[in-house]
Amino acid sequence: MSVAIEIENLNKSYGDLQALSDINLEIKKGEFFGLLGPNGAGKSTLIKILAGLAHKDSGQVSILGTDIDRNHRQAKHKLGIVPQEVVIDPYFNPFEALKLQSGYFGIKDNEERINQILTTLGLADKKNAYARNLSGGMKRRLLIAKALVHDPEIIVLDEPTAGVDVELRSSLWKYIRRLNRQGKTIILTTHYLEEAEALCDRIAILNLGEIVAVDSKEDLINSIDKKIVEVKLSEQVKGVPTELTEHDFEIDENSKKLSFELSKKKLKPFLDKLYQSKLPINDLDISSARLEDVFLKLTSLGGENN
Amino acid sequence: MRFIKVSIQTIFAPLISTTLYLIIFAYSLRGREVVGYSVSYTRFIIPGLIVMGIIQNAFANTSSSLIIAKYQGTIIELLLAPFSYLQLSLGLMIGGIARGLAVGVAIYLVSIFFAGAVIAHPLLLLGSGTIIAGIFSLLGIIAGLWAKKFDHISIFSNFFITPLTFLSGVFYSVSSLPGVWSRVSLFNPVVYMVDLIRYSFIAESDINYLFSLTVISGAFIFLLILVTYLFKIGYKLKD
Repeated sequence: MSVAIEIENLNKSYGDLQALSDINLEIKKGEFFGLLGPNGAGKSTLIKILAGLAHKDSGQVSILGTDIDRNHRQAKHKLGIVPQEVVIDPYFNPFEALKLQSGYFGIKDNEERINQILTTLGLADKKNAYARNLSGGMKRRLLIAKALVHDPEIIVLDEPTAGVDVELRSSLWKYIRRLNRQGKTIILTTHYLEEAEALCDRIAILNLGEIVAVDSKEDLINSIDKKIVEVKLSEQVKGVPTELTEHDFEIDENSKKLSFELSKKKLKPFLDKLYQSKLPINDLDISSARLEDVFLKLTSLGGENN
Repeated sequence: MRFIKVSIQTIFAPLISTTLYLIIFAYSLRGREVVGYSVSYTRFIIPGLIVMGIIQNAFANTSSSLIIAKYQGTIIELLLAPFSYLQLSLGLMIGGIARGLAVGVAIYLVSIFFAGAVIAHPLLLLGSGTIIAGIFSLLGIIAGLWAKKFDHISIFSNFFITPLTFLSGVFYSVSSLPGVWSRVSLFNPVVYMVDLIRYSFIAESDINYLFSLTVISGAFIFLLILVTYLFKIGYKLKD
């Protein structure tokens, strides 16, 4: 798999604030890559540098083998950026906006592709509408359409579903997944960790301007030694049998559900004890750590780095 | 393209105000002779009014395009696009030239009713009109890049462009000013523009037209290089 984006020793500061500190990252072609981190971690700064919207202090960035300093124009051709802010020029309707955007990339006579993108993103019936009259979700979809109109090989989505309703979010992801299956490299930043968990192949977690983890989603999750066992009971219990209390546990309000948190190697002995405890078990659910657990452990939000 | 969508504001409004100038000055001062010139006062002021229309609108087009784009955030569309820095400068500048010349042509068409259609040097008029529009488009880009709010743009237009224009010999011949003021006027770059456009129309001028052409061409090239450099360093655009 060849490299889509290669970042070496990237540094960026704003005055005394070190926004990015010695970032090294390689994103492979065709990956669905997640860039996660709390507010101020440096995600948007990293994307701004990729997109040519911010200067870097030092380091190299190349996009599909093109150094952004040596040939910024060629690098920009390969990128489609969906910005975080909804920015729409109210002077143009969606069709005109896409036509203008095509012109920026030197593309002419692409009405068919524009119509196809508008249809796929559910904007076909609004193609001649005033941009200011589009709903928030439609404006967001128009931004995606604009990023796609020049058929870029890498699509960067910076918080694309912030403030978007559940239905639209799901249809957007369906479309982005399809693009990824067609071979496009997708880079996603999002605050919705479930989204990243569901979509991304690999994830980098940034914290205070540094990459604190970069790995496949599975390996990141497996790095947390945690199993959660939920025991649903057919009748209320007065308490938890003593042989099970060595583990962290919670009882729900009506005493019919117990949740235990334990390390992976203790799972089997725990299940043996649970079976012997004669609790009136109705259902059992065993789950692993979530991406959120990894995120909280590795970032300042988890408190360990403060 | 954007200014055509709001043409009432961008073309017809300046046309009306300039026509009012024309009516008021041409009628109230009709019969007045201009020292050193053989044409009527009406015919004398028309080239200057056309220059006024061109420079104000060329400047307004690029400065407002940039400040609005910065306000709306749509400036990133230009920065994300694979333009060279020169292309970016030329693209914005050509938009300003188009609006400046559109207003200039509209004023000329109206002026035909007052002073006829004769143009002594049409090619010189077209060339120098384009360069003048280009200069003020480029100044508009600099103002738009520098400005953080609309108020900052008005500093440029109200405190620099308007005084320089009104003191540039639109309504009088700079040669007719008392000694020192005539020489001071030569430090005003708009004087050369008005004089050059006047020469293109009536083949009479205060300053040698080739000198004026050299001055404005030099200013144009300098500003084009400066604006291209400002885009290259991302002046007030990139963090």
